[in-house]
Amino acid sequence: MHKLLAASALSLAAVLPAQANTYTIDPTHTFVTYEISHFGTSTNRGRFDRKEGTVQFDRAARTGKVEISFDLTAINTGVAPLDKHLQSADFFDTAKHPSARFVGDRFVFNGDKVAEVGGTLTMLGKSAPVTLKATQFNCYMNPFFKREVCGGDFETTVKRSQWGMTWGLNMGVQDEVRLLIQVEAIKQ
Amino acid sequence: MKRLGAWAALAFALPCGAVAEPVVYRLDPEHSFVHFEVLHFGTSTLRGRFGVQEGLVELDRAAGRGYALVRIDTARVDTGLPAFDARLRQPDLLASDTHPQATFVASSFSFDGDKVRAVRGEFTLRGVSQGVELRALRFGCHPHPQLQREVCGGDFEGELRRADFGASFGMPFVANRVRLVLQAEGIRQ
Repeated sequence: MHKLLAASALSLAAVLPAQANTYTIDPTHTFVTYEISHFGTSTNRGRFDRKEGTVQFDRAARTGKVEISFDLTAINTGVAPLDKHLQSADFFDTAKHPSARFVGDRFVFNGDKVAEVGGTLTMLGKSAPVTLKATQFNCYMNPFFKREVCGGDFETTVKRSQWGMTWGLNMGVQDEVRLLIQVEAIKQ
Repeated sequence: MKRLGAWAALAFALPCGAVAEPVVYRLDPEHSFVHFEVLHFGTSTLRGRFGVQEGLVELDRAAGRGYALVRIDTARVDTGLPAFDARLRQPDLLASDTHPQATFVASSFSFDGDKVRAVRGEFTLRGVSQGVELRALRFGCHPHPQLQREVCGGDFEGELRRADFGASFGMPFVANRVRLVLQAEGIRQ
């Protein structure tokens, strides 16, 4: 038993970077906002209000892993009938697939700042690769939590049809959706 | 409707050129929002949103003139966090109790051909008025499929310093500079 434990600890130590720290997503400073063109005239925006996740992050080794899931029933556009339509089988089909999940483990650094995170976005039961580009990244000592907080702004543009979300494509509703991601995570 | 009536009367009273045809649009509340963005601890961008309580735009695309009046209900700020929304309504930020409305009134429009390129007007928040310029990121018109009416609109951006309006709580942790991003679509009346 002891040997087994020791062996697992050893293999774990081999896998995990020496200074990997765990950060918990701060849900009050973590949001995904989507943008989609409305008939080429203006941009419709919506937001996902409930989420949770963790980040393993090692600045020295330049590695990391983020896992975050979003409750799609908490989609919020400011227009209640649109929120309802977005939750229907035409779009997110939240009755069958209530959440979306992003797992990112390809961290690219520029100096000691995260420049991009590549990973997999799963929704509607399908997984597709997504790369999030950082438009800013920073770590700071939060005076309220008295802990280090790391985070930034990330963005990417996806084609919703990759996840089988094709409603309205034949009526001119765009396939391209821009995702703007605010994220802050608190060191544990 | 009453306001629109007064508006139409005002439009008639304005001196118009021979070919000028001002058209009045009412902002569609389902496609008109004022979003704001502000940097948090120099790290990530906080976002919030206001619906448009009332919005009227008069465009004379031939004459290159325009007028806009937009009202927002500051108590209806929506960040996705009820506790943060409540904090924003406090006297040192939006002061929603004493100043329930913010307004943007603009009569300086610039055009690029027949497209609106920029709108300069006066933004009033917490009873303080300051000049703000909104630049069009895109502008276009399309026929509304259900209403069978013309819709004109676009995306606009501008910026302000919140301290100029006295909304200075939380500085410098939360930045003074606020970026405004407006989605606006007006239905032809």
